[in-house]
Amino acid sequence: MDLGSILANLQLGLQACLLIKWIPDLFFGVLIPIPINLFWCLMGAVIGTAIGVLPGVGPVATMALLLPVTYLLTPEGALIMLAGIYYGSQYGGSTTAILVNLPGEASSVVTALDGYQMARQGRAGPALAIAALGSFFAGTVATFAIVLAAPPLTKLAQQFTPADYCSLMILGLVFAIVLARGSVINAIGAIFLGMLLGLVGTDVNTGNARFTFGIQDLFDGIGFVPVAMGVFGIAEIIANLTNVDRRDLVSSKVSGLWPTREDFRRSIAPVLRGTFLGGLLGILPGGGAILASFSSYSVEKKLSKTPEKFGTGMIEGVAGPESANNAAAQTSFIPMLTLGIPSNAVMAMMIGGMMVHGIVPGPQIMEQKPGLFWGMIVSMWIGNLMLVVLNLPLIGIWVRMLLVPYRLLAIAILFFCCIGVYSLNNSANEVLIIAIFGLFGYVLIRLGCEPAPLLMGFLLGPMMEVYMRRAMLISRGDPWVFVLSPLSAMFLLIAALMLLFILLPNIRKSREKAFQEA
Amino acid sequence: MRFKGSQDIAAGMMFVGIGALALYISADYNMGSARSPGTGVLPRILSWCLIGTGVLVWIKAFLADGPSLGLAGWAWRPVIMVTVATVAFALHVDSLGLVPTMVLAMTIAALGTPETRWVEYTVFCLLMLVVGWGMFIYALGMPIPVWPEKMPDWIVAVRSVLKRGQ
Repeated sequence: MDLGSILANLQLGLQACLLIKWIPDLFFGVLIPIPINLFWCLMGAVIGTAIGVLPGVGPVATMALLLPVTYLLTPEGALIMLAGIYYGSQYGGSTTAILVNLPGEASSVVTALDGYQMARQGRAGPALAIAALGSFFAGTVATFAIVLAAPPLTKLAQQFTPADYCSLMILGLVFAIVLARGSVINAIGAIFLGMLLGLVGTDVNTGNARFTFGIQDLFDGIGFVPVAMGVFGIAEIIANLTNVDRRDLVSSKVSGLWPTREDFRRSIAPVLRGTFLGGLLGILPGGGAILASFSSYSVEKKLSKTPEKFGTGMIEGVAGPESANNAAAQTSFIPMLTLGIPSNAVMAMMIGGMMVHGIVPGPQIMEQKPGLFWGMIVSMWIGNLMLVVLNLPLIGIWVRMLLVPYRLLAIAILFFCCIGVYSLNNSANEVLIIAIFGLFGYVLIRLGCEPAPLLMGFLLGPMMEVYMRRAMLISRGDPWVFVLSPLSAMFLLIAALMLLFILLPNIRKSREKAFQEA
Repeated sequence: MRFKGSQDIAAGMMFVGIGALALYISADYNMGSARSPGTGVLPRILSWCLIGTGVLVWIKAFLADGPSLGLAGWAWRPVIMVTVATVAFALHVDSLGLVPTMVLAMTIAALGTPETRWVEYTVFCLLMLVVGWGMFIYALGMPIPVWPEKMPDWIVAVRSVLKRGQ
């Protein structure tokens, strides 16, 4: 990996981002140049910030909602926008966590602990500024980590045999179990259930129909978008409509945005540690922003000379987790981009976005669509820059969004879900599917099963079957191939160890405790 | 009557039930050979895994106290109204057109929560109509009728059944 090729890649990405499209002016017939991909990047960042601010609307649901719309964009524009929603929501979530003690996203729950206390002491400005600057720094470092790590990882991934892939997917599913909230067994069940659902439709290898009940619409399988919208969009509306939260807007005036020299001095080390920790945790399959922010907070608390002061407005408690969650949000793109394997529900949406455009996720993307690949990476850095500029001066506007009551928001989400799914194939039957999966998703939530593992199983199940068949074909029917290939054996070993560990009572207890603090 | 950990018992029932159903349906899918696994291999493996998981959940439910299912705490009103609203959208959008379908579906959804304030809702509904029409019909040019074009299919079906009955 030499400097020249890095620069060449970056230049390629920058070109893709700055692509100019001439839009005919509606009034005078003059062509207007618009940097179309930058525009979608901005849109993604703005939408992401908005839904980050709003509790009860997460990035997964929003991305599911917008998948049909991205069908109208170029693949570059679509993926750039979807990515923007994810990291944008990390910025937005911290804003409300600090100002009104309402974490808009799960990953900013810990930010609220100290951030809100700072706001009550009249130091909301510095808290917000440190959160934004820390996030930006972490985002920049993580983006460069992707630039450095992607080519060698892709090379490695190209050597994977089908058996390796199959085992890697099993490992990914095990990680999804480990990191699911709630009961471990229920998460395992949800994964099997999701994989079974993924098998519905015509078997690509043999042409036989499976679980179609003779219904014509099921012959092509159940679409990823309707399932995702059902279990994340509709089911969440139902769940949230019951416990409508009372939102008291504590009108904390933001005065004096700029942190003091002392604030900066105290934040530097937490930001660096948070970036490093978040970047590492983000790469793990199943990892992501939530885990990163929690780990960073507990690390800062352990390292601090005054751990008892945490929770009373320590700036370290804002700087560390905020950097960590943004770093993790960025690096969790690495397994998705290089291996084509989603490491969490958000990355599952990104893969869904690729599939909508007929792009097969996997290591070949970097070679076949370098513009898309590097454009997306460069857009992440540009998007982070936009977010800093966007968030700090406009904080007042974002907070005012909280005034929109959920009862209206829910109706708007429902409508966009319906029309979004309908617009995919102009098929009213697919709207029926989201109704069914909405109901199903709510039942799952009430039965203590998280919908995220279900979705991972749904996406990975059919992929796994393809690789399993290839592996068996190559090995002439010898199942030992999964153990004899060193990479595959390693993945399976790690998966088995993780499963064993999580079923041990001690570790399970501490895991439950960790989630309880959430 | 309250079970110990009735939530787990219900979850186990769902897993075992769906697993058994999938096993029953996939019973005649061909298994192929080891060299080229057939249609039935993964469904059967997964079905057994799902049933096994369900049994484990049951065992857990009998061994330890778990959360109760708490059917009374379920969001029955939103569950029913949101589902009905979605189904109503599906059944009418092709025939009645975007505007009546939107009003119908959104009003049903608004009935799903006691929080709805009707004056506020009316203003919001009008706003959403403008947004919906502007975005999907005007800007994106989706081929949906805006106003009613024909009788919804389900009404036609019900009518023909009634006629046959006479």
